Amino acid sequence: MGEVNLVDYTKFRLKPAEEIREVFKGVGKIFILYCRKCYKKFEEDRVEEFDELLDILGEDSQKIVGSLGVDFLCNDFLSKKKISSLDLSICDSVGVISCGLGVQFVAQTLEGELVYTLADSLPQSGNSTSEVGYHGISLEKEKCCGCSQCYLNLTGGICPLINCPKGLLNGPCGGAKNGKCEVNPDLDCAWEKIYERVKKQGRKLILESPQIRDYSKPPLKLQKDLSLQNQTFRDESFYGGFHPLEKKEETEEKRVESFPEPKIVTIFLSQHTGKKAKPLVKPGDKIRVGQKIGEADGFISSPVHSSISGKVISLKEEIHPLSLKKDLAVTVENDGENKFDSSIKPGKDFENLPKDGLLKMIREKGIVGLGGAMFPTYVKLSPPKPIDTLIINGCECEPYLNSDNRMMIEHPKEIFTGISIVEKILGVKKIFIGVEDNKLEALTILKSSPHKSSSVEVASLKTKYPQGAEKMLIKRITGREVPEKGLPLDVGVIVLNVATVFAIYEAIMKGIPLIQRVVTVSGDGAIKPGNYLMKMGTPFKEIVEYSFGNKGEELFKEYELKMGGPLMGTSQLSLNSGIIKGTTGLTLLRKFPVEASEERECIRCGRCVEVCPMELYPLYYAFYGKRGEWEKGIEYQVENCIECGCCEFICSSKISLLGFIKKEKEYAHNSNKA
Amino acid sequence: MLITQIKPEEEILPKISLKRLFIIECPGCEEVYFPAEDVERFINRLKEEIIGRVSLDYLCNREFVKEYLRYYSKKIEEAEAVLVFSCGVGVQIVSSLLEDKPVYTACDTLYLKGFQGLRVQDFDCDQCGECYLNYTGGICPLTNCPKGLLNGACGGAKDGKCEVDPEADCAWILIYERLKKSGKLGILKKVLSPRNYQKIITESLSREEVKR
Amino acid sequence: MSFAEKLKNGNFLITSEVGPPKGVNIDKHLEEAETLKGKVDGFNVTDLQSSVMRLGSLVVCHLLAERGLEPIFQITCRDRNRLALQSDLLSAYILGIKNVLILTGDHPVLGDHPEAKPVFDLDSVSLLKVASTLAEGKDMKGNELDGKPEFCLGAVVNPGADPLQPQLIKMEKKIEVGAKFFQTQAVYDLGEFEEFMNKAEKFKVPILGGIVLLKSAGMAKYMNDKVAGVSVPERYIKMMREAKKGERAKVSIQIASELIKGMKNLCQGVHIMPLGWERYVPEVLKASELIKKEH
Repeated sequence: MGEVNLVDYTKFRLKPAEEIREVFKGVGKIFILYCRKCYKKFEEDRVEEFDELLDILGEDSQKIVGSLGVDFLCNDFLSKKKISSLDLSICDSVGVISCGLGVQFVAQTLEGELVYTLADSLPQSGNSTSEVGYHGISLEKEKCCGCSQCYLNLTGGICPLINCPKGLLNGPCGGAKNGKCEVNPDLDCAWEKIYERVKKQGRKLILESPQIRDYSKPPLKLQKDLSLQNQTFRDESFYGGFHPLEKKEETEEKRVESFPEPKIVTIFLSQHTGKKAKPLVKPGDKIRVGQKIGEADGFISSPVHSSISGKVISLKEEIHPLSLKKDLAVTVENDGENKFDSSIKPGKDFENLPKDGLLKMIREKGIVGLGGAMFPTYVKLSPPKPIDTLIINGCECEPYLNSDNRMMIEHPKEIFTGISIVEKILGVKKIFIGVEDNKLEALTILKSSPHKSSSVEVASLKTKYPQGAEKMLIKRITGREVPEKGLPLDVGVIVLNVATVFAIYEAIMKGIPLIQRVVTVSGDGAIKPGNYLMKMGTPFKEIVEYSFGNKGEELFKEYELKMGGPLMGTSQLSLNSGIIKGTTGLTLLRKFPVEASEERECIRCGRCVEVCPMELYPLYYAFYGKRGEWEKGIEYQVENCIECGCCEFICSSKISLLGFIKKEKEYAHNSNKA
Repeated sequence: MLITQIKPEEEILPKISLKRLFIIECPGCEEVYFPAEDVERFINRLKEEIIGRVSLDYLCNREFVKEYLRYYSKKIEEAEAVLVFSCGVGVQIVSSLLEDKPVYTACDTLYLKGFQGLRVQDFDCDQCGECYLNYTGGICPLTNCPKGLLNGACGGAKDGKCEVDPEADCAWILIYERLKKSGKLGILKKVLSPRNYQKIITESLSREEVKR
Repeated sequence: MSFAEKLKNGNFLITSEVGPPKGVNIDKHLEEAETLKGKVDGFNVTDLQSSVMRLGSLVVCHLLAERGLEPIFQITCRDRNRLALQSDLLSAYILGIKNVLILTGDHPVLGDHPEAKPVFDLDSVSLLKVASTLAEGKDMKGNELDGKPEFCLGAVVNPGADPLQPQLIKMEKKIEVGAKFFQTQAVYDLGEFEEFMNKAEKFKVPILGGIVLLKSAGMAKYMNDKVAGVSVPERYIKMMREAKKGERAKVSIQIASELIKGMKNLCQGVHIMPLGWERYVPEVLKASELIKKEH
């Protein structure tokens, strides 16, 4: 990486000392709020301006009765929460060190309090005929004044409004000496640069008709409409998140097909949260479809069953597709006979089964959450606290994926029956199915299904990522906020994925354990994209051969293979792993010329804060992670992170934030244990 | 963070039609606003002229754009012109890295209140370099009054609404109300000196450039 | 006696208005003004009124002065930066124009060149201050001038503004920086005007109440809807509506004179804005019993 000049776009600096002293003359007790700045290299976690203020004030600094540094003070949503939690009764005024946005926001929030600004904004345009200038989401020299009548086509891509202090549109003023501007000899004459650039491109300096700027642009109305549109778009349903390209078209209308019978399957003994299952088979054993091959080990654990009939060929460690660490797996060679285990018998009418019996079946059949987290379902359905609401999650907000969508379209009856089973277990009064409004077909089918009981309400939710995350979903549907570090059951709610409900149906009504699931296979360069019913343990290798062409491990040169979707999915290192219970999809993504890296520097653009649905400040995870100060993650509530990936997706410096977050979470987890 | 709009077709088509075009779109601020549908419609009209099309985020980051352009260099070489869909910053970066190639923009850029910071807001900062908010109850007269008046209302407000934009409140009435509430109406009697426009040139140029 | 001297003497003052044309035919305007010679104390010449491009205020002031009429040069902050404003004030003085009415000016988007760049480099208060500074022999940066101009500075106030207090505060500021007289926005409600005068009295600066001749009921309603601080009472609207077409001017004159008579005991003068009906001004004055004797 060559040397690059970065501009420090800090938006403000302290007012002149005399002015500050003047303000302090009229002040008794003051509380100071200071913004931690934006658009500068994030090199140290400290705001000089506050120390400077103390210096200027000398004895007067005793008037300061409290202070608070806020990241991105102008983030009204988060800052409001912070400011309203302050006890300002101790002071008669509030001083703000920030740009004009922060001050105005504080003054608006604390209407009636005396709010003083202690800082001046720093001008940016460099051109007093276009007074305001804006940079991009990076710290380059190039700026734009948002004139809404871009002249760059005429000027070879050099903006005359920003680069010429007179903002001339029709050629140089004639005042340049040796190519330098007469207003500021440090500057090159913009029009000479324009002339050179255009010449290089083999174009003539285009002097079409004389250009006259239209200062009535952009119309107020347009600006207002766009602002409003943006504000509603950004904050619809919940704070944070974003609207990614959905990329669902490719498999949206593909009916679920059975994936060709795998030659072998690699079934991990850990396909659930909690302790891994104890193996019940050894190499050489002949086993049947649905036979239990691993026994639950403890309360939070789950049994594992074989998805095919055949011979166990190994019991050894393989790379687990989720943890990416070596983990014990049973590899079975398919005999192609599909002989079912004797334990598989259609169930009796569930209405006549006791609650305990149903729960036991759900445990025995190895049902876990299929949305990806794989939490043992019977544990979830045995809540230690009263539950009044059940939410079935059919959001599937990840791009590319359609497995839940297809289940809802093709199996409404099974889903509603599954819901009735859960309803019986939990005895809840209110049941919702939450579906994003981009899944119109599923919504229509569910709403009009004859199997839908009156206790179930189908909720159409705005399409926004991560609407499907439990906490967002609960907030959107019930208005309740799951407390920090809390669980849905703390607010009387249980959330189950639609595919989990289907698996419950299969287990109770047909006696089939969780040995297969629907997986969306999609992405760049997919030959046979689709939604496939796959047996657990089907190796990625066979899927890649079938759907992406026979690329083998070569694939990783050009592509990234993700188990799950592009945002929350896990990037695979080898093709030897296989489908597990939490595999919602396999997505192939072409590698981008610039990939996320842990090396790059944060410029405090604040966008990660703006998209974090958990209202965290992800930039600090990278900042302290890079320094190896993993314990700092706890201070910034890393345990609340749901790893939705919004911050990494949006990061303007392409920093792999999730890498840091995972390490900090692990640190937090370990220190909790200790 | 800036907002882009597609330019009128009659302005841009004569410049680029019948050229072999390489198209670069920047969805970097997509969650803010990117006129995706308009872009699609526009590109469809140019179909035959297009020899390559890529969507690359953060065209405002020179380091990234260098990598992108290296990766797509062959295609770009074949192209007669590059057409960029991004804000003014992105276009300037791309064209400065492709000096020999005509780089056109298909967009006009505008700015929304509050983007100076983080989110679209109902208030804005004009980067004046001499904050007046201490005299105006924390309501900026430069950005809220279309005339940017510093010494009180122009008298044109009707029912508290601005005569330039009847949907907007008169900034000076808001300022008056705010100061009245905090018992500081006396502040309004101070005659504020005119803006110092020199600051815009001298102080934006004195910004520190940090090497990395 | 000059306008400034009359101000000092505490005369009841009458001013009228000349709106320069869009174009160069100025004779009619000058002739109309001349018919008022000796009847009014000064003529405001508007500065691109309503942000519509027209002949300039300064040159029309000069033409009036040449004819022995006393001009009041209106100058707005809309189109000139601080250099041009100061320079034009000096030019005015050279041409013998000392009365200056300083306003902020309408925003260009409301006029016929909405694309124009709004300048507003200074505002009415700061321009008044600058004009006062010039009269002290210095420019706004403190540089010495070669020779001192003299000005009689005026400003405007809107007595019907709601809320009124910010207007009063601004008025006070204008006085502080050199405003010697005020002309007001059109007054139709004498009760409201009296209230305003009670509050403004303490400033001890002459105030000339604004009179706009109503041309029709439609115009009255338009002003009620759109113009800040103007509320034409229903009674006047009714009078205008019921007037036959040929009678309208007569009714309008009647209304104006009623208002002017009412103002005589409230304020220190009237400022008549005929908006094209300059020809009726003598009749208004006559009906208001304000015809002055030749001096």
